[in-house]
Amino acid sequence: MNSLRLGSYSFSSRLILGTGKFSSTRVMLEAVRASGTQLVTVALRRFNRNQAEDDLFGPLSEIRGITLMPNTSGAATAREAIKAAHISRELSGSPFIKVEIHPNPHHLMPDPIETYEACKVLAAEGFIVMPYIPADPVLAKRLEDVGCSSVMPLGSAIGSGQGLANAEMVRLIVRESTVPVIVDAGLRSPSEACAAMEMGCEAVLVNSAIAVARYPVAMAGAFAKAVEAGFEARNAGIMPRSGSAVATSPLTSFLGAAS
Amino acid sequence: MSTISIILNGECKEIPASASVADLLVVTEVVESQKVAVVVNEHIVRPDKRNSFILQDQDQVEILVFAGGG
Repeated sequence: MNSLRLGSYSFSSRLILGTGKFSSTRVMLEAVRASGTQLVTVALRRFNRNQAEDDLFGPLSEIRGITLMPNTSGAATAREAIKAAHISRELSGSPFIKVEIHPNPHHLMPDPIETYEACKVLAAEGFIVMPYIPADPVLAKRLEDVGCSSVMPLGSAIGSGQGLANAEMVRLIVRESTVPVIVDAGLRSPSEACAAMEMGCEAVLVNSAIAVARYPVAMAGAFAKAVEAGFEARNAGIMPRSGSAVATSPLTSFLGAAS
Repeated sequence: MSTISIILNGECKEIPASASVADLLVVTEVVESQKVAVVVNEHIVRPDKRNSFILQDQDQVEILVFAGGG
């Protein structure tokens, strides 16, 4: 199975891109193209005619094969997230919603209780629910049970670039889940995205690492290759670790015998 | 011409009495081709209802777009 299946949708790219923090809309659009992504996140914002560049719906819909996944950023409660989801669906026409509820602006850690409540309602309403969650296998399972189409544990804090700090917990979630596990947040370099894929994640969601790179378009391409490499490596069957050396060349004794 | 006050995106704004949501979008210079969501007092006003939806004094109106986000 080479495509990423989320709800009734399938994607050949396993790299999901965030569209925040780019220096300009033009650079963001180029990075989206270079990444080959088919699913991008966007956020609701108040209309301001003096900041026309903020409105990404038009420019993103001109790129073929892109599906929007609005997030509920800004919501501090389940009620607010549900409201944001309804408005977003109206605007995007997309059934995807990234449920993101973080009440504390200092650490941006997701609120598991409000997230669970919001996901339960939104999944029942027919959304393709993609919750951003702490790397907690119990919560992940509960979200799967209420109909989420994936679970998206954080590698580390949003925008921190601390990589897969929660690697062991992500591994546990992968082992227990029957829905795709997607590492969302904290990734800093393509090697970390590759590692996430090798450990069994079905996709990664990257924003800051690409947006704030010196050359975002080139970095988008690098992440795309790393995600693909990690996925292929996992399917190829990664060799087991050994506690001691195992020779790759024959250790015959004829050299010693000849002297 | 009589006017009413609404709260538009968190700020007080005077608009003509009996203005519709569609009229408000013209006043706020939303380009016709631009996709926006309109929420009045927490209710979403879909595009096909914007001509007939007449705003009332003290209505809370949000006009929203998609911006960059992760």
